[in-house]
Amino acid sequence: MLRTVNRVLTALSGLVLLALGLAVLFAAAGLPHRWGVSMPSDWPWTRPGDVLLTDADRTRWRDEGWWWPVVIAVLAVLVLLTLWWLLAQLRRRRQSEALIDSGDGEGAALRGRALEDVIAAEAEAQPGVDRARVTLTGRRDRLRARVGLVLAAHARPGPVVHQLRHEAIRHAVDSAGLDTLPAEVRLRTARHRAERVS
Amino acid sequence: MSRQGVVAREDDAAGEGAGGGHRRQGKAGRFWSTRRAPGGITALLLLAGIGFLLYDVASVRAGRPGMAWRRTLTDELATRRLDDVFVMAGAAAAAALGLWLLVLALTPGKRSLLTMRPDTPQVRAGLERSAAALVLRDRAMEVPGVRGARVTVRRRKVRARAQAHFRDLDEVRTDLEGALRDGVEQLGLARRPRLSVRVRRPGK
Repeated sequence: MLRTVNRVLTALSGLVLLALGLAVLFAAAGLPHRWGVSMPSDWPWTRPGDVLLTDADRTRWRDEGWWWPVVIAVLAVLVLLTLWWLLAQLRRRRQSEALIDSGDGEGAALRGRALEDVIAAEAEAQPGVDRARVTLTGRRDRLRARVGLVLAAHARPGPVVHQLRHEAIRHAVDSAGLDTLPAEVRLRTARHRAERVS
Repeated sequence: MSRQGVVAREDDAAGEGAGGGHRRQGKAGRFWSTRRAPGGITALLLLAGIGFLLYDVASVRAGRPGMAWRRTLTDELATRRLDDVFVMAGAAAAAALGLWLLVLALTPGKRSLLTMRPDTPQVRAGLERSAAALVLRDRAMEVPGVRGARVTVRRRKVRARAQAHFRDLDEVRTDLEGALRDGVEQLGLARRPRLSVRVRRPGK
């Protein structure tokens, strides 16, 4: 979600900047004249002698009654939008509760931190794993897990992931009665010295 | 436990039974970065610029004098020709920045994270390149004769440089290649990188 928003808005900003820059450079180099391209009649930049924003253009609608309210409203909306966009970067999505179906129609809430700790502890007990960090995300009745593992020396990443799925995650799913728990796993290592084994 | 849960788990078990480690399951696409930093910086700059403008426009509407920067800015905009050095430099900078933002928005990023084979159900796994290099270095050090090894892992290529202080170099190279091919296989990457191995005597 945030990823899509960030990428769309960043792409839009980039597109606007690129288009403005190229349009100004195009006119500044005198290319419309040289290539015989005719620009639209109210296009502001056609010759190198043009300016970026003439006084006439800037004040064109100033005397209209609607001009200033519209300017202020548009700016205010843009301020709110960018403020929301900025604050969205600072928020970390973390699910603090898991909804458990207890079978009696009541349901129960499990602390997300507890589930995270259990998965992490079991992952750390696995051979080849030094440290594990688990974060629950998603909705509380449709959890997702983000798992970060620090591999020990001589670990085998493929089997480690397989075992994680079939022990730590499987056990969490079974014991909390979750439908599923899709996980995103990232593996890294702590730097260690090369050592001869034989 | 809901019925749905049971069904999901049975599917799961059936999937495991189907065997082979090379089954295609789920997608093995790149990890896409959230692009928090570019988004945050763009948002901050836009907010600052638009906020200032809004504040000044509103305060002028309320009958207070406008700030000097607006007068200067409109004068500059209305007098500098397009072929002025500053205008052209500014336009070039804007175009370059825009291109960069576009590239950031359209490329996946996270180049240090290698996607692993999606053969475990409901798990999407990625391996840091540095971790892959370290694992392979450990494997290389297990080969008899290898005294030191440097492994660099790029997105599509693994390069191993080893020094052998005993045994025939060709034998060591063969063993090392075997060990590393095995090691690369056990990394479980979605896209197997090419392997290049070089073995030398340690320099004197």
